[in-house]
Amino acid sequence: MKVKIRFFARFRELLGTDIIAEPSAGTALSGLIREIAGKNQEGYDTIFDEHGAFREFVILMRNGKRVELADAGKVTVADGDEIAIFPPVAGG
Amino acid sequence: MFSERERERYKRQMMLFGDEGQERLKQAEIFIAGAGGLGCPVSLYLAVAGVGTITLVDNDVVELTNLNRQILHYDRDIGKKKTASAEEKLREINPDITVKVIDTTIDATNVDRLVGTADGIVDAMDNFLTRYLLNETAHKKNIPFFHGAIRGLYGQATTIIPGLTPCFACIFPNAPPKEVFPVVGVTPGLIGMIQATEVIKYLTHDGKLLAGRLFVWDGREARAEEIGIGRNPACPVCGKRRAASTKKRKS
Repeated sequence: MKVKIRFFARFRELLGTDIIAEPSAGTALSGLIREIAGKNQEGYDTIFDEHGAFREFVILMRNGKRVELADAGKVTVADGDEIAIFPPVAGG
Repeated sequence: MFSERERERYKRQMMLFGDEGQERLKQAEIFIAGAGGLGCPVSLYLAVAGVGTITLVDNDVVELTNLNRQILHYDRDIGKKKTASAEEKLREINPDITVKVIDTTIDATNVDRLVGTADGIVDAMDNFLTRYLLNETAHKKNIPFFHGAIRGLYGQATTIIPGLTPCFACIFPNAPPKEVFPVVGVTPGLIGMIQATEVIKYLTHDGKLLAGRLFVWDGREARAEEIGIGRNPACPVCGKRRAASTKKRKS
């Protein structure tokens, strides 16, 4: 199965974007992101805290729909999914 | 009614909005929270478009480090209050409108009074805490909240209409970490133009608003994208309100 991961903004700088992953069936959304982000420590650290949990401001979308961070460990990915991971910005 | 001078000034945009749309702009009051990177371009363009009353709030003093992006403030204004500096430029660029400035920090104790009877709030803040406060006020007063934020070459914007769209707290339940953010003036310029366009469309009833959609700009990649955003039924700001208004309608 193929899943597309799209990082935005700062996440994109550190981790690239439009990454095609081929996870095995039953892979949880959080596990997939953790694995891909793990390829760059700084990138990983901007998304996950020291306990491996999503930083609370991260916005996670699956096929254009918001996934609550608390549910990312339960939601499994499916073939053709598009996952977007976005850090809101705060400057003005 | 328009003076000859106003007719001439707004001639080219009245081709778009007609007398009626221009009159709506003239009768409107827009509250702009912040006279910084976003607040400068937003207030400048709303002023020249003929928004009748612009209320601009800021508490800061112009510093040299502001001048790469805060385009209403000039080198000679360093040390002046941002409100005084902005007021002077806005009045000069369009003497046919009313410009009100308030030199204060927006907080929970004054936000209601400051926003007053404005027809909309423009988010030109640099922090999430005040944004949450403005979002709540917009919902209390049932007026739109035009959100914009930037960092470096990245920006985001959305138009929040109480009762219709997800609110700011639905979209961003948690604030990103506080920081001294990097920025080049073009980014708040661009995001500010999205916000000002939204205000003009909202007031003139023209076009389709950026409602229920988060516009995301990546200047580094020169890509603009949209993230669909949904309402949080348990949202502490608009969740209750929705429940209350539904109940009311049913009864």
